[in-house]
Amino acid sequence: MKDKYLTVSAITRYLKSRFDLDENLQTVFLKGEISNFKAHTSGHFYFSLKDENSKINAVMFRSQTKNVLFKPKDGMKVLLTGRISLYEAMGSYQIYVDEMIEDGVGNLYLAFEQLKEKLSKEGLFDESHKQKIPKVPKKVGIITAPTGAAIRDIITTIKRRFNVCETILFPTLVQGENAKEDIVKNIKKAQEYDLDVLIIGRGGGSIEDLWPFNEEIVARAIYECKIPTISAVGHEIDFTISDFVADLRAPTPTAAAELAVPNMADLKSKLNGYLIRLNEGIYKKINYNKLYLDSVKNSFVIKNPMVMYENKRQNLDLLSEKINSLVTNSLKNHRDKITLIKKSYIFYSPDMIYKKYRDKIDSIKSSYVLSNPMILYKDKKSEIKNIIEKLELLNPLNILNRGYSISYLDEKVIKSIKKVKKNDNISIRVSDGIIKTKAVEVEDK
Amino acid sequence: MAKKFEDKVKELEEIITVLENGDVSLDESIKKYTEAMKLVKECDDELKTVEDKISKIVSENGELKDFTVE
Repeated sequence: MKDKYLTVSAITRYLKSRFDLDENLQTVFLKGEISNFKAHTSGHFYFSLKDENSKINAVMFRSQTKNVLFKPKDGMKVLLTGRISLYEAMGSYQIYVDEMIEDGVGNLYLAFEQLKEKLSKEGLFDESHKQKIPKVPKKVGIITAPTGAAIRDIITTIKRRFNVCETILFPTLVQGENAKEDIVKNIKKAQEYDLDVLIIGRGGGSIEDLWPFNEEIVARAIYECKIPTISAVGHEIDFTISDFVADLRAPTPTAAAELAVPNMADLKSKLNGYLIRLNEGIYKKINYNKLYLDSVKNSFVIKNPMVMYENKRQNLDLLSEKINSLVTNSLKNHRDKITLIKKSYIFYSPDMIYKKYRDKIDSIKSSYVLSNPMILYKDKKSEIKNIIEKLELLNPLNILNRGYSISYLDEKVIKSIKKVKKNDNISIRVSDGIIKTKAVEVEDK
Repeated sequence: MAKKFEDKVKELEEIITVLENGDVSLDESIKKYTEAMKLVKECDDELKTVEDKISKIVSENGELKDFTVE
């Protein structure tokens, strides 16, 4: 029976594992008020966090306490992030704190983020709305406190870099409740002066000190400012809304002055450089033209102009020759053509034609046939005689005179015995008549 | 003056590039050169003002008074 009883450490260990396995307890954001705060010599913080009706123990080890920006005191409202687990020795749960910030501050951060979100959505931070900061300003306006490091740094830097430029200070409250109205008032006033650039800023401080530069009205005033603005609020690490909305953000007031005005030395050396390049440029140009002129001067043609003339003369001769030959040729052609025509004319003249035809007639007249027509008749006569003789020869009946006969069967000439049968009536034709017969017998050869 | 100073410098740069790449006639480049020298002198004068400009502070009624940093 006894073994079902657990030891205290066993149950504690089990409870601890329940805490450590629970996802939600690994990163917890807690809000509350510090009480019985003890900073141990080891550097660890031991305190508890409470609200109206409950309390929780808290421990922050040295490695985390380093980045706590403020000095924790009882009664302070804080925001914690950490991990909740069981402290076995005391059998109590507690929060192991990673980060701790002042709650009052907390809302400020929250407010900052919200305003930043809102203004950026409205496009106040867009690059396209940023004005260009002039490189060489004549008048620089400054909105900051009349006393303190900021104004001193700005003015001395401007004097050091570019003492020809005027600076006008618009003394302004940079901290506390009515700082924001004062800043806005001075931004508006500054625009009445013919300023080329406006530096707005202050020295370092806590987030509360810098808060006026996170106010919406200040942000809008800077945005609407006609003069290009450079914001320089606090130290390098501090970022305020006016930094985002200004045309240029400078990490510190001194940097703002350096961005606002050029360095005299640089400007002078730049001008000097231009002077040298100008002289070089013009010298090169003149030199180039001089060389060109020289080369033209001693060019061959200028040296001996006659050459050109000679060439011309030669060309002239050439051309005149060509013309002469051309002319003579064309004359000859024309003359030939004329003689040709004349000849042909003669040849086709009317009496020529008459003569030609008369000749033709004479020749015909004297032709042999006409002079002895009988010849035709004789020729024809002999021709006919020949034909008759040929016909005679071919006459099949002549053969009969020499004893041959032609046998007919039913008016058809018998060429083969196959056509003849016994007792067929055959008629045989001899030179002087026909013999009627009957076939007695048909005998093969 | 501020804007004009920057414009003058820009003009100077333009003339220099024209002169340097040299595709300009001789008379044109001489004309440009004299113009540029005038600009250089003007810019130089502007940088050589005799005394330091004193910094001013705007008083309540908007008047400018001298202001020295302690």
